[in-house]
Amino acid sequence: MGRLVAEKVAERLGYDIISREILLEASRHFNIPEIKLEKAIHDAPGILERYRHTKQAYIAYIRSALVERVVNDNVVYHGLAGHLLLKGIGHVLKVRINADFEKRVAYVMNRDGLSEDEARARLVEDDNQRRKWTYELYGHDPWDSAMYDLTIRIDRLSIEEAVGFICKAAQSSGFAASERSKQNLKDLALACHVKAELVADFPNIGVTCEYGNVIVYCKAGDRGGAKLGRRLDELKRKLAGIYSVEMHSGVPAPPDAV
Amino acid sequence: MESLTMEMVLVMSMIGLAIFLFIVEWVRVDVVAIIMMVTLPLLHLVSPKEAFIGLSSNAVVSIIAVIIIGAGLDRTGIINKLVAPVLRIAGNSASRIIVAISVTVAIISSFMQNIGAAALFLPAIQRIGEKQKIPVSRLLMAIVFSAILGGTVTLVGSSPLILLNDLLAPFGLEPFGLFDVTPIGLALVASGIGCFILLGKFILPGGDVNPEGEDNAEDDVGGKEKSALEEDEYYELSTPDDFTHYRDPLFVEDLRRRYLVTVLAITEPPDFKVVSPPPDMEVRSGIDLVVCGRKKDVVRMVENEGMILKDRLEKYSDTINPVKSGRVEAVVAPRSWLVGKTLKDVNLEGRFNVTPVSLYRHEESYRARLDDITLHVGDVITIHGAWKNLKNLQKEGGLLFGLPSDVDYMRPGKAAWAGAWLVVALVMIMGFKIQLSVSLMTGALGMILTGVLTIDEAYQSVDWRTIFLLGGLIPLGIATEKTGTAAWIAHTVLGLMGDVSPIVLLTVIGVLSTLFTLVISNVGATVLLVPLVVNMAMAAHTDPRMAALVVGLATSNSFMLPTHQVNALYMGPGHYRTIDFIKAGALISIVFIVVMIAMIRLVYGV
Repeated sequence: MGRLVAEKVAERLGYDIISREILLEASRHFNIPEIKLEKAIHDAPGILERYRHTKQAYIAYIRSALVERVVNDNVVYHGLAGHLLLKGIGHVLKVRINADFEKRVAYVMNRDGLSEDEARARLVEDDNQRRKWTYELYGHDPWDSAMYDLTIRIDRLSIEEAVGFICKAAQSSGFAASERSKQNLKDLALACHVKAELVADFPNIGVTCEYGNVIVYCKAGDRGGAKLGRRLDELKRKLAGIYSVEMHSGVPAPPDAV
Repeated sequence: MESLTMEMVLVMSMIGLAIFLFIVEWVRVDVVAIIMMVTLPLLHLVSPKEAFIGLSSNAVVSIIAVIIIGAGLDRTGIINKLVAPVLRIAGNSASRIIVAISVTVAIISSFMQNIGAAALFLPAIQRIGEKQKIPVSRLLMAIVFSAILGGTVTLVGSSPLILLNDLLAPFGLEPFGLFDVTPIGLALVASGIGCFILLGKFILPGGDVNPEGEDNAEDDVGGKEKSALEEDEYYELSTPDDFTHYRDPLFVEDLRRRYLVTVLAITEPPDFKVVSPPPDMEVRSGIDLVVCGRKKDVVRMVENEGMILKDRLEKYSDTINPVKSGRVEAVVAPRSWLVGKTLKDVNLEGRFNVTPVSLYRHEESYRARLDDITLHVGDVITIHGAWKNLKNLQKEGGLLFGLPSDVDYMRPGKAAWAGAWLVVALVMIMGFKIQLSVSLMTGALGMILTGVLTIDEAYQSVDWRTIFLLGGLIPLGIATEKTGTAAWIAHTVLGLMGDVSPIVLLTVIGVLSTLFTLVISNVGATVLLVPLVVNMAMAAHTDPRMAALVVGLATSNSFMLPTHQVNALYMGPGHYRTIDFIKAGALISIVFIVVMIAMIRLVYGV
């Protein structure tokens, strides 16, 4: 149902819509099979994965691909965790679409040709996984309405009405892109890119970027410090938009770090 | 030879545990010592009385007294008075400066804790370096190494030597006198300085400063960076009258985070000049501001934010004036109140009206988001401020830096008393052969009674970490000896080595002590090794006192890694990398062992 709303919003506003292609892009760019990325963004991390950090790496790839697309503005992203992946950007309208559970069951039965029990079981499992996923990776409950600008329940409100609300909100002055919010998005894109480039070798780093000044936060006395320094030198040469790079070892990453 | 007993196995396990904890540093070294102090009696390896006997040992009392005497001398500025004449003698040549300061530091360090001796000269060295255009890295390492080497000149110069007599007592060996080590110590200092004068060019960083290499250095994250002091300039800017129209408010902190530029002064409309503005102050329309930063950063800011760059300081030429204000590189001192705090907690702008410009730590220069960084010992903060405000900051303590004008000392009038009590302590030791701890404590007490320092200041000056490190490891030494573990290891090692000449044995002990001191603390190495080597020497029919002396001296042979606290402190100010210590330290360490063995043979005829 969410997808339907997203498509109509994009159509009415004349925006691009992106969803799965983010996974494809990430998969192409970082050479990771799409199925792995899909699992990463869908299933909660298992105990082993929490230590191997593979999921964090995949999320970093997905986030980098998403922010890269969003940076050009006028985009509707429909998918999981958009509100977390695009956290901190002023002109992003974060919407959660909810629906009456019975109606969702009916919708899934109709869409995928499943029996009622199967559809019900799948929805419960999906909801659980998503909840666990956001909790494990971001420490948030995805159903916490405080994390969205708008939460709409499609029940008495029709899809058309929901689309109307969303478009109106998106065009309101509060969500107009300012110079600062555009810069923030550009900086986020760069920070995500740096993180995605490094995450396989340095899973625990945090990256911030402000006006092209990239700060990489890592643990004190990290044995990989010299190696990380070299990689940052390379990245500074390779990635456009980086003005300076500092490596803050032993400094805890601030909350806005990716 | 005795067979291996359960007790020996337990003692060896405890030694293994201590060494392991020293290396991995899961807990601080002094905590490791306290763990030993508590665990050994619980395992019945020492009696409860023996477990805490270290705290009342001669060594510990002597160290307390030495620290108090050092603090007294420091407070009256008596040692700082040496700085000016020494610098006059030194003149302008780098070699002469190195020799003059190194010799002075070594002499002071032979009576004071090493770390204090070198710290005294740091501000002067920074100033000379700047004035004579000699890189600080070229001067500092020789002086730092001299501070460590100076610790071998008298028996109170370093913790291992102070400890030595206590460790010899259980064997009934004759204790060493205060100046018994002096000939060897002087030879070590001389050879160290000699190495730096003759080979400094090859082993010291900064010997081949290449201005052409600037661009590369600047661009590398992992590379050696120029300090903010060398690179930054002052610029005065103004904002147009419509600066704040149609834009989000811009704050002082934003400029640092976005453009790596520090605002030193800014006008609050209509025309109130704010020096060292707080980070949350807004940059308004039609005002002037002075920033400190690299030219390229300032130009980038001017272009992006639509500011106007002036050719020179105009409105602020009076405020930002070398006569009234400037920048210093301040080093976070050991046991400073700043350690563990962030610059945001410290609030230098608000409390002292000075502005931190950049921070340098372990080969990295930080400019962005300085406020979040937790300060460590040895961090170098470049600070700008009016000289009088910087002086206030200096008086607060905790930071080592030099100011162009002489600093007022707390009690200059007491300098004569401080000097007199030091002499009294020395006369008691040398003239009347009174025990070290009693003599030194008399000197310390005298300083307190004559008002050189108050009793509270005396208590505060004592570094409890050193006291508990010594006190806690002494029972481990007792256990090693009492259970026969030391004898067992000594015989086993000798059995493996076969018959060796005394010189070879002492050299092996010297190398072993050097290796130990690089990974565990010098005190730890001494406590563990002395009982061992005394047993080895007795079995090999070598003078056991000499074996112990080699350990006491060679545990100061800690130059190759920045693990020694003196090295660690100066790594930041000298902008040294670990490789610099390895390069220069390896040579000095080898020379140290050769000179030490040669001198022991020469002086004691081993």
